Amino acid sequence: MTAFVLVAVAITCLAIMTEHALAQGSPFGGPHPGGPATLPATGIAGWILAKQSEFYRQFSGLIRAAKSDGSAAWSLMGLSFLYGIFHAAGPGHGKAVISSYLVANGETWRRGVALSFATALLQAIVAVAVVGIAAAALNLTASRMNTAVNAIESVSYALIVAIGLRLMWVKGRAFKATLRCAREPASEGGAAVTYHCHHVHHYDDHHAHSHAADRRCEHAHSHHGHECDDASAWSHAHAPEPTELAGPGGWQRGLSAIVAVGLRPCSGAILVLVFALAQGLFWVGVGSTFMMGLGTFLTVAAIATIAVGASAWAKHMATARSGFGMLAMRGVEVAAALLITAFGMLLLGGYMASERMIGF
Amino acid sequence: MMTSRHCVLLTALACACAATIETAIAHPHVWVTMKTEIVYAPDGSVKAVRHAWQFDDMFSAFATQGLDAKRKGEFTRQELAPLAQVNVDSLKEYDYFTFAKANGEKVLFIEPVDYYLDYDPKKTVLTLHFTLPFKNPVVAKQLRIDVYDQTWFVDFGFVRKTPVTLVGAPVACKLSVAGPAQMDSSLTLRLNQLPADAQLDPSQFLGDQFANKIAVKCP
Repeated sequence: MTAFVLVAVAITCLAIMTEHALAQGSPFGGPHPGGPATLPATGIAGWILAKQSEFYRQFSGLIRAAKSDGSAAWSLMGLSFLYGIFHAAGPGHGKAVISSYLVANGETWRRGVALSFATALLQAIVAVAVVGIAAAALNLTASRMNTAVNAIESVSYALIVAIGLRLMWVKGRAFKATLRCAREPASEGGAAVTYHCHHVHHYDDHHAHSHAADRRCEHAHSHHGHECDDASAWSHAHAPEPTELAGPGGWQRGLSAIVAVGLRPCSGAILVLVFALAQGLFWVGVGSTFMMGLGTFLTVAAIATIAVGASAWAKHMATARSGFGMLAMRGVEVAAALLITAFGMLLLGGYMASERMIGF
Repeated sequence: MMTSRHCVLLTALACACAATIETAIAHPHVWVTMKTEIVYAPDGSVKAVRHAWQFDDMFSAFATQGLDAKRKGEFTRQELAPLAQVNVDSLKEYDYFTFAKANGEKVLFIEPVDYYLDYDPKKTVLTLHFTLPFKNPVVAKQLRIDVYDQTWFVDFGFVRKTPVTLVGAPVACKLSVAGPAQMDSSLTLRLNQLPADAQLDPSQFLGDQFANKIAVKCP
């Protein structure tokens, strides 16, 4: 019932937002919606913004210069790398979605770094592929290219919503199960620990797992309720098993997030690629795009590591307190899942200007 | 147990939270160097704003990508005509980034006329020309025209040399032009002094920061 209501709310929310998005196009003809007006950035944010602008403005001059001067190409690579670092701090490079995803799934920082790398790499590959195929090979116009990018964007945002909803479903169930368990005191002194609520795992591909655990708890509930353990048992169950971290299953788990976030190419990269193509130096543009990706990776990985660290610390604190602690952790995971859904919906609805992709 | 009210609340909260986290603005991706003319009728009323917007080379390359041209690397006005059409059509939703007030009252524009694109093969840049007629030409003692994109996706700036010209204006009219104010300490101070629960109208500040301001005073 709860899940049903949540989905209904999500769909309503989405419908309203989509309608809003359709009402606005982009200034010079691209179909992408603009975002809301935001306050001018000040302080550090303003400085980051100014640096991005400064670097970006030098790209065209360096690409031109690279035609006759090889060293300009190297300057361009260095500048692209720096631009990537600063630019990823701005909107639209998935740091928020990736961070929330890591928190919701209780992932390690290593996986966070790997995930950041894979998404940044995919972003660069998509940008090169779009321009390489649409512009270089097919000589399509900018407006056609925009249509393609916007389609990719919509798929990416829809995938983020899907991942969020799925996590909400899994984590919501885990939360409910924990809640139920927390309400049932271990009446027999916690002696019976045959069925542990901590079996409700926080790994998204353990859907079946949570199902089973949930049922077990319900089952226990219907009998006496004494089989639901308190949270103290959870702390050691929480340590990720090695098989979950490595191996094909581990990668598949993150794949959905990598695709969802990495699918969307950076509009700055596309502009650089098209300009390089027009100057007859497409490969210089490709190099620049990958250097931007490298810079983006560093920033996103740093933010993801902070998120994972904060979440691990919270978990540590939570496990120190039994009962309520586990519930709180589950709550945090549900909240992170909710946040991913919200990001996806806002992006899809054009409420959040991820980074406008425009043209003719 | 979670009730539906909780869910609605949670979703709203998550949306608000997500929006707050990612409200950082992106840097501009299009730069426009503009030259503007303000056109007066013989009776002294203001009748139109005539813009010439030169785009930066990177955006110009993007915009002309895949366009057919008889001579490679050059585009004629005719070849660019469909593009100019798309430009003015899509600019409508943004009010042409041009906001005018005559004697303190908002001025409405009608659809642009005389629009075309020019291509400079040397600089490889496009220039969009268009004229925005006033819906009701007005004799204005005070005329104020601001040009800006409040989302800062497009960065507008005046050309250095004679950015604004008055065409056929009464001789006594005085023109003043100012570029966007830098994000200075006074604006930061103003923002910081606002009470926490103040209803913010971002355009109020962005207008100041990003706007290219044209003012004409006639006696």
